[in-house]
Amino acid sequence: MTVPIVLVVSISLFLQGHNLPGGGFIGGVLTTAAFVLIYVAYNLDFLESGVLGREVETGTSIFEHRTVTAYRRMLLAGLVVVLGSGFGGMIIGDPFLTQGYVHLDGIPIYHEVELASALVFDLGVYLVVVGSLLTIVSVVSGE
Amino acid sequence: MSRLVIAPLLVVVTTAVLTLALGRRPRVQRATSVAGAVGYVGTVSVAVWALVLGETAPGAAVYQVGDWPAPFGITLVLDGLSAFMLTIAAGVGLASILFSVRYVTPENQRVYYHPLFHMLLAGVTGAFLTGDLFNLFVWFEVMLVASYVFVAFYGTDHATAASFRYLVMNVFGSALMLVAVGGLYATTGTLNMADMARRLATPDAYGIDPAPVVGLSALLLAVFALKAGLVPFQFWVPAAYTAAPAPVTAMLAGVTKKVGIYAIVRLYFTVFAAATIPVDVAGLTGTSPLDFLAPVLGAMGVASILVGGFGAIGRDRLGGVFAYSSIGQVGFIAIPVAIAAAADPTGALRGVAIAAALVFALHHALAKGLLFLSVGAVEDATKTDRLRDLGGLAGHSPVLSGAVFVGLCSLIGLPPLTGFFGKFLAFDAAIRGLASDSGLLSALALVALLLGAALTILYATRVWVGGFWGRETAAVEVASVESGQVTVLVALAAAVVLVGVGFDPIYRFAETAATAALDGEAYVDIVGLNGGDGA
Repeated sequence: MTVPIVLVVSISLFLQGHNLPGGGFIGGVLTTAAFVLIYVAYNLDFLESGVLGREVETGTSIFEHRTVTAYRRMLLAGLVVVLGSGFGGMIIGDPFLTQGYVHLDGIPIYHEVELASALVFDLGVYLVVVGSLLTIVSVVSGE
Repeated sequence: MSRLVIAPLLVVVTTAVLTLALGRRPRVQRATSVAGAVGYVGTVSVAVWALVLGETAPGAAVYQVGDWPAPFGITLVLDGLSAFMLTIAAGVGLASILFSVRYVTPENQRVYYHPLFHMLLAGVTGAFLTGDLFNLFVWFEVMLVASYVFVAFYGTDHATAASFRYLVMNVFGSALMLVAVGGLYATTGTLNMADMARRLATPDAYGIDPAPVVGLSALLLAVFALKAGLVPFQFWVPAAYTAAPAPVTAMLAGVTKKVGIYAIVRLYFTVFAAATIPVDVAGLTGTSPLDFLAPVLGAMGVASILVGGFGAIGRDRLGGVFAYSSIGQVGFIAIPVAIAAAADPTGALRGVAIAAALVFALHHALAKGLLFLSVGAVEDATKTDRLRDLGGLAGHSPVLSGAVFVGLCSLIGLPPLTGFFGKFLAFDAAIRGLASDSGLLSALALVALLLGAALTILYATRVWVGGFWGRETAAVEVASVESGQVTVLVALAAAVVLVGVGFDPIYRFAETAATAALDGEAYVDIVGLNGGDGA
């Protein structure tokens, strides 16, 4: 029951991170905590077999495990996003890692939304944190 | 123009990510890694030439990351000192990567060897470039996290024990550094090094009391000495250096150690030297943090030379001899720095002594890089680096032995090799120090340098006689040396000779670096803080 709440809190922390306490790192850690709760309560294959209803092949080493491979890809994708967000500003002539933001008015329900480019950087950090922590947790628990 | 300042960092981080992405294609990964290292050398040379050394160069340049103005954002500064250190890192980094391609087995390469190597290089690059104290801490961590993995790389008992020791020491060191950085922030109200230098020069204008800076700087000195492997913080060195893969050891000894030296020079001479603070610690008195640095660092340097020299004589493995020799050689770098700290701030001696330390750092990076890579080549060929099992390598593989011979001669300090100038300038600084103040420090330093030089001759001779001369042993008879590895060694040996033969421009570069290190006001100017209304 706690897992969805943890996930929602982690995502809200992630989204507000560029101008309030929170951000990609702390959001990522909290998301990892939600996954780890499931792994502690069930096992590494529960998400695939129990939730997604997939077959889980067994017998290969933990490094070749499909879940671990996915986490490693996530880490890599995060690094690419982080670097990309840094280079993004350089294309239009700003220094590395320069960020900007726009205010959008007249949006239904929200009325005003602030779109910050720092969110892209935070998304990269989020992916790196979730990917690397879950890789470590699943490999160490698989030993 | 100023983009060139950050270019080396971007090249190396991008290479790290690319090599991580190409993990499933070992051949492409190796090619990318080498291309990245060549690109790194290229960007460093272009940046150093265009910004520091060239005829139309401004001498230094600054880059405000994320367009945040100093002192609020993270500032990267490329001045003479950073340029000199980056050049060392680029040279040793390229040689180590090229050697790795022929040295690291496919199974080991799969364990993220190349991405980690480039992250190590990224940590070093960031530490040399940053103009922000907290950012320096972050780059130290980047460098350390990569090197933890490398020390534990082979997963043997020895490697695991060494990496655990290395980890505990450095986690403790990092915690101390964080406390010191926090304390300096609380004392001076800034983390930007240029801003800190400005505030310490005129504390009344900013309403700060600089008295705690002496104690906090002592904490930082301990942390940097730990990174540099100076006595009494040396005991992680031999185990870690023998446990890590040979090309990484070349990097650790040649470059990451110098980060500790660089940090001491940068913080004490560029930042803290501006402060006038009454010092009265444990019998040491003076008016500047440098008055505290001089005797303490001098004593550490003397102790390092003795521990390293005597330790190296007693080792029975090539790797062990060179690891202890590294401890001694860092002492040779620390003593000129201590003499510079004791020297008159307005005299010429300070600049001469810092330049001597930098030249010795360059010599040590080249010669020790060469020697640690040769240990890798010998071990690869004979499956041992025990001196007892080696012998007759000179007859068996003359080219490899020739490269080692050049490295050993440079270590001893024979002209016209780089090591001669390193030692010559260190002695020169000590004698000038003795002439100017005839103090105990300079006299003691001179005796230690002489003793250290004698010990170096002893252990270098022992390595040569034990491992390379004499009858070929069983292990050597069946050995086949990898020609790709030897090519890298020969190139490094050629660099040792060429830097020595064409020493004049190198010395001018070192002088530029020393001038940059000592001119705190110019550093503040570059970062663009002078002329503002302050705070």
